[in-house]
Amino acid sequence: MADETRVVQAGEWRAALLAARDDGYRFFDWLSAVDRTDDDAAPGFDVTAHLLDVSTPGALRGVLLVTRVADGQPVESVTGVYAGAAWHERETHEMFGIDFAGFDDGSGLAIRPLLLPDGFEGTPLRKSFQLAARASKPWPGGKEPGEGHESAKSPGRRRVAAPGVPPADWGPR
Amino acid sequence: MSVDLPMPRVGPVAEHAPKPIRVVLNWGRRYSLWVFNFGLACCAIEFIATSMGRHDFIRLGVIPFAPGPRQADLMVVSGTVTDKMAPAIRRLYDQMPEPKYVISFGACSNTGGPYWDSYSVTKGVDQLIPVDVYVPGCPPRPEALLQGIIRLQEKIAAERVSGAAIGARQPGRTRDLDQRYAGHRTAAAAEVTRGLVTKP
Repeated sequence: MADETRVVQAGEWRAALLAARDDGYRFFDWLSAVDRTDDDAAPGFDVTAHLLDVSTPGALRGVLLVTRVADGQPVESVTGVYAGAAWHERETHEMFGIDFAGFDDGSGLAIRPLLLPDGFEGTPLRKSFQLAARASKPWPGGKEPGEGHESAKSPGRRRVAAPGVPPADWGPR
Repeated sequence: MSVDLPMPRVGPVAEHAPKPIRVVLNWGRRYSLWVFNFGLACCAIEFIATSMGRHDFIRLGVIPFAPGPRQADLMVVSGTVTDKMAPAIRRLYDQMPEPKYVISFGACSNTGGPYWDSYSVTKGVDQLIPVDVYVPGCPPRPEALLQGIIRLQEKIAAERVSGAAIGARQPGRTRDLDQRYAGHRTAAAAEVTRGLVTKP
């Protein structure tokens, strides 16, 4: 639904959302991040926010704001601009490990996990997060097509090397 | 104030009943299964479809729906069990009175299903509670649940519901071993629950 994409600098994130709100994008739709640590030019995370202008019935305008932050760098919190961003920032924080400076959801508590169970370790939506069940859970049959049965008719396919799939030497064996 | 009452049990009458009485007791038990639906995902819709007019599992004696786990005999776990939901499942299971049965309905609650790779999904509800019947499918059709219920009723008809017999059904447990917990439980409710979560 985004008719327009605005790429902003990390330091201007809050100012960019304020400007967008003043442009009429009063409806906060979504905030999340994309793991772009595989981008050699500027490794980091694309923090994205989607805003909507709902002022004109039948003519919904959307804008997508994107900023690239390096790993470990905090982003300015936008909870002062859109109060509804608090849950999204907490989720982005727990899933990607991105810190939001100046986070305030009215509770007086700092940014903290939202969805993950107590005691969960790691940031599961990072590409570096290993899906441990592949290594630790014994599984009957094949985990990938072509695995799990030895036959001349089923030549071994190329092993999947997707992010999160632990390599063969990973984890307890 | 809390009242410390023991878990309701079938009692010595059933444990030492002669076979004809046991048959009658099992017959009564298998055809009055008050069911409690732990619906977590799309499988719960199929469960509801099974309870409605077309499939109508009341004709098998499965009575929807128990007001709560304390009134239920059968729990149907239908849907994706996550690690965050796991303590709630364990807690509600522990609140059910003996004798109690569990049907795991659908691929997710059997094994994790298409989400077995996920960081948040429990790899099968049988890691939390003992399961009597597994119904495969993604989601299974209502007829599959009817078949699962019939299978469970066959198991109930053949069983001896005594504390020792329940203990012997558990893998890795003998009747003398580890009597810390009643019946076939492997934990008490207090050990798998947490305090009330206060509003922020």
